Amino acid sequence: MRRNMLHREVRREIRATFGRFFAIMAITALGVGFFCGVRITTPAMVHTANSFWQEHQLYDYRLISTLGWEAQDVQALAGRPEVREAVGSVSADLLCTANEREYTLRAMTLTLPVNGVRMIEGRMPENASECLADASMDSIAVGDVLTVSESNKEGTLDMLTQRALTVVGTCDSSLYLNFERGTTSIGNGSVSGFLYVDDALFDTDYFTEIYVRFDHDDVIYSQAYKDLMASKDAQWEALAQERADARYARIVEDAEAELLDARKELADKRAEGEEELEDARQKLDDARQELSDAEREILDGEAELADAKTELDENGEKLEDAKAQLADGRVKLDESKAQLSDARAELDEAKAQIDENEQKLEDARAQLGEAKAQLDAGNAELEKSRTQLDGAKAQLRDSKAQLDTADAQLSENEAQLADGQAQLLAGQREWEAANESVQSQQSALAAQKETLVQQQAGLAAQLADPALPAQQRAALEAAAAQVTAGLTQIAQGEVQLEAAGQTLTVKRGELAAAAQTLETGRAALSQGRAEYEAGLARYAEGLAQYEQGEAAYAQGRAQLDAAQEAYAQGLAEYESGAAQLAGGRAAYEAGEAQYADGLAQYEAGEAEYEKSLDAYEDGRAQYEEGLAAYEEAVTALADGRAEYEDGLAEYEDGLAEYEDGRAEFDEKIQDAEEKLSDAQDELDDLEVPDTYVLDRSANIGYACFESDSQIVEQVARVFPIFFILVAALVCMTTMSRMVEEQRTQIGVLKALGYGDGAVMGRFLVYAGSAACAGCVFGYAVGTVLFPQVIWMSYELMYITLPMPYLFDPVLAGGALVLSLLCSLGITWLTCRVELTRTAAALMRPKAPKAGKRVFLEYLPFLWNRLKFLHKVSVRNMLRYKGRFFMMVIGISGAAALLVTGFGLKDSVAGFAQVQYEEILTADASAALSAQESEGLSPELESVLGQTASEYLPMHEGSWDLVTQTQVKGMDIEVALGENIAPFMHLRTLRGEPLSLPGDGEALVSNSVSERFGVHTGDTITLRDETMRELHVTVTGVFENHVYNYVYLAPETFEHQLGEMPECNAVFLNFPEDTDIYKAQAALSALDEVTNVLLFDELKVRLGNMMSSLNYIVALVIGCAAGLAFIVLYNLTNINITERIREIATIKVLGFFRRETSAYVLRENIALTAIGTAVGLLLGILLHRFVMQQIVVDLVSFRIRVEPLSFLISAVLTFSFSLLVNAVMGIRLERINMAESLKSVD
Amino acid sequence: MEGYVEFKNVRKVYRTGEVEIEALRDVSFQIGKGEFCVIVGASGAGKTTILNILGGMDTLTGGSAWLDGTEISSFNKRQLTAYRRYDVGFVFQFYNLVQNLTALENVELAAQICKDPLDAATVLEKVGLSERMKNFPAQLSGGEQQRVAIARALAKNPKLLLCDEPTGALDYQTGKAVLALLQDTCRRSGMTVVVITHNSALSAMADRIITVRSGTVESERKNDRITDVADIEW
Repeated sequence: MRRNMLHREVRREIRATFGRFFAIMAITALGVGFFCGVRITTPAMVHTANSFWQEHQLYDYRLISTLGWEAQDVQALAGRPEVREAVGSVSADLLCTANEREYTLRAMTLTLPVNGVRMIEGRMPENASECLADASMDSIAVGDVLTVSESNKEGTLDMLTQRALTVVGTCDSSLYLNFERGTTSIGNGSVSGFLYVDDALFDTDYFTEIYVRFDHDDVIYSQAYKDLMASKDAQWEALAQERADARYARIVEDAEAELLDARKELADKRAEGEEELEDARQKLDDARQELSDAEREILDGEAELADAKTELDENGEKLEDAKAQLADGRVKLDESKAQLSDARAELDEAKAQIDENEQKLEDARAQLGEAKAQLDAGNAELEKSRTQLDGAKAQLRDSKAQLDTADAQLSENEAQLADGQAQLLAGQREWEAANESVQSQQSALAAQKETLVQQQAGLAAQLADPALPAQQRAALEAAAAQVTAGLTQIAQGEVQLEAAGQTLTVKRGELAAAAQTLETGRAALSQGRAEYEAGLARYAEGLAQYEQGEAAYAQGRAQLDAAQEAYAQGLAEYESGAAQLAGGRAAYEAGEAQYADGLAQYEAGEAEYEKSLDAYEDGRAQYEEGLAAYEEAVTALADGRAEYEDGLAEYEDGLAEYEDGRAEFDEKIQDAEEKLSDAQDELDDLEVPDTYVLDRSANIGYACFESDSQIVEQVARVFPIFFILVAALVCMTTMSRMVEEQRTQIGVLKALGYGDGAVMGRFLVYAGSAACAGCVFGYAVGTVLFPQVIWMSYELMYITLPMPYLFDPVLAGGALVLSLLCSLGITWLTCRVELTRTAAALMRPKAPKAGKRVFLEYLPFLWNRLKFLHKVSVRNMLRYKGRFFMMVIGISGAAALLVTGFGLKDSVAGFAQVQYEEILTADASAALSAQESEGLSPELESVLGQTASEYLPMHEGSWDLVTQTQVKGMDIEVALGENIAPFMHLRTLRGEPLSLPGDGEALVSNSVSERFGVHTGDTITLRDETMRELHVTVTGVFENHVYNYVYLAPETFEHQLGEMPECNAVFLNFPEDTDIYKAQAALSALDEVTNVLLFDELKVRLGNMMSSLNYIVALVIGCAAGLAFIVLYNLTNINITERIREIATIKVLGFFRRETSAYVLRENIALTAIGTAVGLLLGILLHRFVMQQIVVDLVSFRIRVEPLSFLISAVLTFSFSLLVNAVMGIRLERINMAESLKSVD
Repeated sequence: MEGYVEFKNVRKVYRTGEVEIEALRDVSFQIGKGEFCVIVGASGAGKTTILNILGGMDTLTGGSAWLDGTEISSFNKRQLTAYRRYDVGFVFQFYNLVQNLTALENVELAAQICKDPLDAATVLEKVGLSERMKNFPAQLSGGEQQRVAIARALAKNPKLLLCDEPTGALDYQTGKAVLALLQDTCRRSGMTVVVITHNSALSAMADRIITVRSGTVESERKNDRITDVADIEW
């Protein structure tokens, strides 16, 4: 009952704190899953392959003899008790075409029940024209017909009974587990697939190999199997050799009997031939004699002909001379004829000119006469105009005199008129003065009159006054009287004046009449003057006309004089022309006479020429006749000569035929002799056959599978340790937190009287059940997931085999025990301390951990620069040191795992590239059979010159490195040329270049150095199969990733073994854009070349092989991600629960959501940064460690992590951290302040 | 000055699974500005729920709560945070100091996020801790820690100071000293102080006494005879 209550309490606890429970469970599941999954993969793979090979009974030994095997050998082996089955097989490499493509195929007979096949489609072959094809060749399907190419080797074609094979089925073979099909010496050197054929296809009396399966069912690669095989090796090698030797003996015996027969036959044939040849010789000599006679006759005829020829040539020459002379005469005649006709033309022209000139002279004479008449008429006319001019001159003189008289009269009239004018003016002025004085007297009288009138009026007024004293009246009356007197006087003056005025008016009329008279005189004068002017003008005009007439006369005179002169000159010219004409006529007459003479001479020459021409034509005809006769004779002789030549040729042919026959005979005899001796040599050379007892490790599929499956096992060794470590860490932090939280409860339980065991049990059950659940879950998922995923990745390289689930009880049990031990142990350790306390102490709240100054605070220059909240974070981080370290360890662990995962990829991905692009830069290597120590054969050199741009002769060998503890096979390389730069770059792991070793020195590859502890300066011993030894000093360790190499100098061989190493390999570089496969085929076709290895192909093949690691890397990365997430989540979760009051306080104080998150999670970020930094460094170490664990024979990886991998790892780690922070931010938001603050905790 | 703080028919129901617990029903009261108010009641009567609602730490189910004319009960989460940040100061029974910060830093932690904070050192001096500023909480006695908590609340210069059983974890004398400090603060700076306690003896020192019982207000009255803390005995 008591236990039940506790159990129920635990169940409730789990439900309440499921996050925590899940964390433990998940991390355990992850650890166990990874550990068991990776662990089970190799056994599961081996189990899978083993089932397949067990079902199809893979061979244990493949026996090969250089002479082949006979059926009796097979029977003998099959009869042995330890042998379950022994089956002989014939195989041959064929070039076949199907669907217009060429394939290089390995044809072999089925060897059931050993080396079974898995049918994919169709049926087994039933006759020689049917076959089973390789299922991995996608382009060949059931029903296709494979045609055997004529380009196969003669020997191969001879072996076959059929040239066309119908595909009746496809299959996978137990001999080919992976897709490597091996190499061959035909085609492009690589086999593209296999064919299973019926035994009847091969027309041979021997087997090429025997497959032996022992009576056992041991698991592949197991120690039991290795032991079994080790116990058989020596015995079977001897057995095989014994069978081969027996076959050898049989062959030698047969051959010797055959040789003896052949020798005898040769001797007979030789005698027969000699006789026939002698007869032929005789016939030829006769023919020779006849030919000599004929030749002499021909020579005589030739001499005669030569004489005739000379004569003919002389006559011919003479004729030529005559012909030349005739031609000259003709030319001269033609010349004179031309001269004559020229002269005639000249004469005719002269005659015409003379006649013309005569006519011209006649014309000139007539013109002169006419000119004379004209001159005389002109002279008369001039005389007449002289007379007229003189008359006009006199007239002009008269009119001039008249004009002068008129002018004088006019001047006189003008003077009279001017006097009249002056008199008139004086009269006018006199009148003016008189008029003025009258008018002034009149006005003075008028003024006196008025004054007197006024005085009269005034006096009258005064007198009118009655009061006027009488005295005065009297005076007044006196005055009035005076005035009246004055008035009377005035009236008189006025009358006088009136009279003077009358006089004046008369005078005025007189003056006007005088003025009128003057005007009339003036007009008459003007008219006279105008008439005078007109007369003067007429005079001037007449004068001008006269002058003009005078000038015309002078001009006419001058013209006449000039004409006179011209006439005189023309007359003179005429005279001289007449004289010249007379001279010309005389000359013409003389020319005419000369011409007549010339014409007569020419006609005589012409007649002479005609005569000599006839004579020449006659001579010519005679010569032609002679020549024709000569030609005839020559032809006749040539015929004779041709006949002779034919005869001679016939003879020569006969002779050649004879010689040929002779040579042929000799050759045949020699051939036969040679053949015989060759056969003898061959027989003598026929070495005791070599035999090979090959075990399964010679099978590519078997060998590859072992190393491939081991890779996983190597990885499995390292990684899980990490997961277990981290799982323990998670368990510890979680449980210690739980114990801390439940202090009070522990105290209460103790106080209630529960024992330590019961209390402890509570936690143990909690942790244990989590670990148990995680373990079961992890194991189930891990052991299913990992082998399947990894096996899936191997399907790129291996045939599809279903992988059965392999349950390993030991592993499962171990994992459970380990996880329980881990979780319970840690829980126990955590609880132990608390449980020792008394109940009372436990129930008291634990004193809160005191705040403390951190060391940073003593560095004020740094501390004072931090923001307040940053200070809080720093102090928090450093305060909980335990959590700080766990966080850093957890995060750095995850980061380190990521770095390792990516680094693994980097290292694995790159090694093949580095090997074949940076270190071994040659394109190919050819293995040679010719064992020549002094250079290469000319034939090989010419083919190399055509196919390769450059090549380096090498010696390659397999020697054992002998150390104190082990003997290990090494490939040794000896460069026989100087210029190695285009083919390889030897360098140390640090990249420093190394030079080739000198005498007594060696360079070893890094893998040799690492695995056998050989270092620079050490002396090593190398031993070959004949136990010869080389002792060399290691002068350097070079970077090399594929195979184990030791480089030596040829001098070392020379000095230590007494001979130069033979050239048995060549490193090649092909020119750019060469079809390397064609080049490979061309080289492979040579007898001396046994194999051509293309490094490029090797690189790709290695790359593919290693790509299987990618899946494992992906798994590692995935698990690392899970790990990081769980660790971060768990620790942050614990961090929050632990500080929930603090966070609630912060929230109550009014921190906003973001501020609160930052307050708490800032620490996470900082810790992530620190953890990541540490993790990257740890990653380098872990990666190096892991790489050292992964040992694949013959391959040494490059230990390298690319910068990008570091970056990705860091970014991923941060992403996990941020993701966790985001999730935690939500949790922070959900914290209930009121609740959190109430509890005492 | 009635109605600086006001609860109007406040109802609060807690739901845990299918169980509904009515923590408050029909709670109404008013507190004037500058008053020293004591909310007294037995354990589980609902005092803390009132304080949580008043302090913006919890929401209510019905009715409304007001401070200085603003309805707190209508605030969303962010507004509530801002309200806690700027308007309210808390003093808890268990001080809730950040262990990892010194006395001064604890006060600064609150002060640095306010708009108009008081100087942390000055406030600490005022509560009589000028000598212990550099000490971590673990190095201080309970009374000193509570005084740091009060200083932390005061440094924010809040409108309202809420104290949840401030003397609950303290011995008699220290408790008295802390109460005296609170009363003093109220009198001197005129800050509205709400103290929650189960100790009815403390009500003698309050301006206003609100008695809570079974989730509702039993009585609300002004105290006529305010007693000095030193004279209260319990």
